[in-house]
Amino acid sequence: MNDIIVKTEDLVKTYNSSKVKTLALRGVSLEIPRGTFSCIIGPSGHGKSTLMHLIGGLDRPTEGSVFIDGTDISALSSGDLAALRARKIGFVFQFFNLLQNLTAAENVQTAMMFAGTSEKAQRERAGQLLSLVGLGDKTKSKPSEMSGGQQQRVAIARALANDPEILLMDEPTGNLDSESEAEVLNAIFKLHKEGKTVVIVTHNNEIAKMAEVVFEIKDGKLDGQWKN
Amino acid sequence: MNIPKLVLKNITRRKGRFVFTLLGITIGIASFVTLLSLGGSLKNEIKKQASELGANLVVTPKGWCAYEQVSVLTGEQLPEAIPFDVVKKIAAIKGLTAVPYLTERTAYRNNPVSVIGILPEEMKRFKNWEIEQGKYFVAQDEKTLVIGSGIARQFKLKVGDELTVRGERFPIAGILRETGGKDDIAVYLPLKVAQKLYGVGEMVSFIAIKVDDISRIDSYILRIQETANVAVVSDKQLLKSVLSIVGTVSITLQLIAAVAILAAAFGIINTMMTAVSERKREIGILQAIGARQSTIFKVFLIESGFYGILGGIIGVGIGLVFSSLAGPYISQNEFTAFLKGSEISQTFDFRLVLGSSFFSLFVSLISGLYPAWRASKLSPVEAISYE
Repeated sequence: MNDIIVKTEDLVKTYNSSKVKTLALRGVSLEIPRGTFSCIIGPSGHGKSTLMHLIGGLDRPTEGSVFIDGTDISALSSGDLAALRARKIGFVFQFFNLLQNLTAAENVQTAMMFAGTSEKAQRERAGQLLSLVGLGDKTKSKPSEMSGGQQQRVAIARALANDPEILLMDEPTGNLDSESEAEVLNAIFKLHKEGKTVVIVTHNNEIAKMAEVVFEIKDGKLDGQWKN
Repeated sequence: MNIPKLVLKNITRRKGRFVFTLLGITIGIASFVTLLSLGGSLKNEIKKQASELGANLVVTPKGWCAYEQVSVLTGEQLPEAIPFDVVKKIAAIKGLTAVPYLTERTAYRNNPVSVIGILPEEMKRFKNWEIEQGKYFVAQDEKTLVIGSGIARQFKLKVGDELTVRGERFPIAGILRETGGKDDIAVYLPLKVAQKLYGVGEMVSFIAIKVDDISRIDSYILRIQETANVAVVSDKQLLKSVLSIVGTVSITLQLIAAVAILAAAFGIINTMMTAVSERKREIGILQAIGARQSTIFKVFLIESGFYGILGGIIGVGIGLVFSSLAGPYISQNEFTAFLKGSEISQTFDFRLVLGSSFFSLFVSLISGLYPAWRASKLSPVEAISYE
């Protein structure tokens, strides 16, 4: 098995609007070892989230390649990319991004539906995952009935729905108070200890200090990389 | 979780919009079904009336318009334009039986009633009429009435009651056994009495003819036209021209209903486009957690199709109820008065029900194609970043 689970080669991403051309990434190459807890840090607007979107197959690079487990995902069809997102990658976003009309359990089940899991298995696993993040009693609650921290933990449970190898998190605690932040970070550390590769995009230096590997992005370039 | 459940949750969260969009397609389909159902029943009824006319040929004055030809089947009042001499000449041709009709009108308790002057014995033989109550005419100049069973039922009339026709009172001598056709909803007088009563001299409205050898029908037509300066139309031609009029009316009405359905289709497109725009972020979330483009397309297309299925089922139901309720009102129209008492309201056409439901589904799926395509083509990053 390849020890490098995520690898990028000379990633360039340009956004073309009608009048302005924005160079978001200018040739980023990095390698993320399997099972590590990594952070991508840097100032706002310098390309951290763009990098995460490219690694997660939510967007395609203008130039360069992204390899997940040795596969160049830049060359995959949109259907294959969707399958990759369903099975191999779990996303957690700053603003939770839960489906507001569904309950906590249904949010988790929806992710499993796309991976072709049976409804019975969906129900069982959704219950287990919500218990794992400490929300066993909130399965039938809608996002509007939960606190920010609880919603983010539902998002984590959803990210784990199809047992992905990689968890990509974009400012997962950026929108939480300190108590909720601690709850969410605890849940994340627990998952990392279980062997998941966790990649967190953050500008929170305290979180970065806890990471094993840190990548610093500045002006769309990899400005530095170190191990804690 | 499964796709239909997800669709249902999406549809029902904007209940007001859901109901109004559904109403659009429901009303469109309901009007379509009502008009189609009534049109179908009208055609069946006309075919039935044509077969009950019992004639292979109908002799009319030259230059009659299509509406007058329709009236031969509907029993409406017609101009008195054929002299009785012509009837005699035509009746004298070998191999055919001719019966004249003088079709007039009277009113009873403010309701229009057909009055038909007939040659009593000839008509009874021609139509194989039977008497249910009382007795039939015994003389050509008898001043009594024989009435159809439908008229007797409608106005609760019995033998011995009197009915005023053109200011003159006539006793009811007999009531005909039910025929199931327009003969049930007319009042009969001997021809001579009717001619005198309406002051039309020796004229009749048209002549119904039955031929002995149907294979020689063309030679009969020629012989009739050689005998008198009249128009001859076969029952099939008559039926064809009547059905073509009804068909034209039906198609016009159906086109109006189709416009209603088209408007409903645009309602669905509008609702779905709004949904795509409002749920842009959700589409991005679904893509991030593994939904394929084809799945997003399916979700929106099923959502659109749901309007069609539900609107179709409700619309067909309402349409059938409306068509049965509209039956009596339609029969108040002069043109369709002969439908009174017929089984128009009980007609249930399974093909119509199934066809309209599928049509509704088809329209809604077509309406959903573009919004679903737009939804599926959204870039995950663009969608998820949408505020």
